[in-house]
Amino acid sequence: MYFSWDYLTQGFLLALSPINLFWALVGCILGTLIGVLPGIGPTSGIAILLPLTTVLSPTPAIIMMAAIYYGAMYGGSTTAIVVNIPGESASVVTALDGYELAKQGRAGPALGIAAVSSFVAGTLSLIGLTFFAPALASVALAFGPPEYFALMFMGLSLVISLSQRALLKGLVATALGLLAATIGQDPLTGDVRLTFGSEELIAGVNFISVIIGLFAISEVLVNVEQAAAYIYERKKLEWMPSWADIRQCRGAMLRSSVLGFFLGILPGCTPTVTTFVAYDVEKRVSKHPERFGKGAIEGVAAPEGANNATVSGAFVPLFAFGIPTGPAMAVLLGGLMMYGLQPGPMLFRQNPQFVWAVIASMYIGNVMLLVLNLPLVGLWARIALLPFPILGPLIVLFSVMGAYSVRYLAFDVWVALIFGVIGYFMRKLGFPMAPMVLATVLAQLLEASFQQALLISQGSLLIFFTRPIAAAFMVLAFLSIVRGVWSEIRERQLEVAEEETGI
Amino acid sequence: MRTQRAGDIASGIFLFLLGLVVMLAALRIRGAPDVRMQPRTLPLILGWTTAVAGGFLSLRAWRYRGEERAIPWPDRAGTLRVAVTLASLAIFLIFMEPVGLPLGAALLVGFLVWYLGRYRLIYAGILGLASGATVYFVFIRLLQLSFPAGPLGR
Repeated sequence: MYFSWDYLTQGFLLALSPINLFWALVGCILGTLIGVLPGIGPTSGIAILLPLTTVLSPTPAIIMMAAIYYGAMYGGSTTAIVVNIPGESASVVTALDGYELAKQGRAGPALGIAAVSSFVAGTLSLIGLTFFAPALASVALAFGPPEYFALMFMGLSLVISLSQRALLKGLVATALGLLAATIGQDPLTGDVRLTFGSEELIAGVNFISVIIGLFAISEVLVNVEQAAAYIYERKKLEWMPSWADIRQCRGAMLRSSVLGFFLGILPGCTPTVTTFVAYDVEKRVSKHPERFGKGAIEGVAAPEGANNATVSGAFVPLFAFGIPTGPAMAVLLGGLMMYGLQPGPMLFRQNPQFVWAVIASMYIGNVMLLVLNLPLVGLWARIALLPFPILGPLIVLFSVMGAYSVRYLAFDVWVALIFGVIGYFMRKLGFPMAPMVLATVLAQLLEASFQQALLISQGSLLIFFTRPIAAAFMVLAFLSIVRGVWSEIRERQLEVAEEETGI
Repeated sequence: MRTQRAGDIASGIFLFLLGLVVMLAALRIRGAPDVRMQPRTLPLILGWTTAVAGGFLSLRAWRYRGEERAIPWPDRAGTLRVAVTLASLAIFLIFMEPVGLPLGAALLVGFLVWYLGRYRLIYAGILGLASGATVYFVFIRLLQLSFPAGPLGR
């Protein structure tokens, strides 16, 4: 990708000019706000601001829009950790352990780790973008539908197998998540499925509404039934992460940086997907996987690192081939084209100053976001001090706004309400929610890739085993299923043995 | 359904029936020509999986003879609080578009704050109005999001 130290130095000089620094700062602040506020995501945020940037020259405009995107990744974790409402779909996984930490009075450390991990992963992945982009860009092209399907299948099987003692319930939750996502039109043929005559269901069930219902609304219901005085059990709060927390998360930050960056270069692998994979990997390598889902700080560091690394990774195919990996990058591509810049190899030859200034500004933006976010940690964590009878209704209101704003349909809020009730019963009956959420998020990509793969192979399922990358993922998927079944059988045998010996 | 065992039996039966309904609905999906995987295939597989897993869950729970674990259901007052919260949210959703989100938010938040916290009516009302005003000025006016404004949008 025509890297040279001269270009990079020039990029930094340009990015450090007062005008570019100012717009990077504006982008970081707006991005953080967009991440925190319900109803407005990075894609819509960039799209709304795109026409307003026409008064700027291309470099500060794209610098600002890129900053909005990665800034939103920083901000999205805040509501996920503090009130269990993921501000962005990329923060869904953060809520799993982040909110548990908050309930233990550790919202501050969780938010702090989210900021530090985002910074570390953002910076490391930028190094990848700077030095290794040309070689990696070709990897993106090696990924076809069979590889995507195998990757998604592996992700699902990992989550099911990690349901520990509730393997069967994990499988049911996955099937229910996939079923929810199947409602509506077939992704390839457009045939209407499982709508039972409802016109509203033809457009399908949006996964954001499902997530808001399962996480936020069901959590409020549980607190309402207990007449909770405060949403968190502990009144004593910690405000910042300790060095021990940071040391504990070092590995998670590094692994999620690498994973998020590599997956980020693949079209379709949005931060929503990569955060799940990073979380799974972290749980697998952990010496105490049982802590995950109950307040493991690495469970916050991994997804937060992964979503920021994915943003940097997504710039590889965007700059190298003009391929957007997700909706936010597609809007950014629109922004580049609006300024007459055609992404691809020629962009580096014809506009090296622009490209390297944007890359350099992302290093600076990451520092800005860390400086902006760390002092805010205490402020956000203080939300815990609000009594639940005040905070609960506000969470309900934010949930309604978040669900409504996806497509501006009241129907989506009804879906959130229904899934809130489903989530409430799942909590009571011991069904894991993570597999259901992941299945809902991945379903469409999973089915579309499967169908496309069958089109390529003319109906032969062997395509998933004859292509090396796909085969590797499939083997890993089957191994994780076998391991999960084996662990459950072994645990049941131990239980029976304990009962028989009267222990 | 006070114990986990009873809960598993009941939820297993429910899932089994749900799976059957899904399979029946999937069989009624029209087939598409020239496609390798018919639109009904995935719902059929998922319906089958749900039914079989539900049946197995029920059977396994029915045969379970270990220690009984209680499900932490709420008491009568807790159930009433959940029901009232859900009902108020449902009423809010029914009237959200004609009444508008700002006014609806004010009423919902005001009512829930008063009901859940037993705060003074004036205090709950102020919090409700502040929420409605935030929705209107920040989200509708400033961010220009297409939330229903109701009478305030005229």
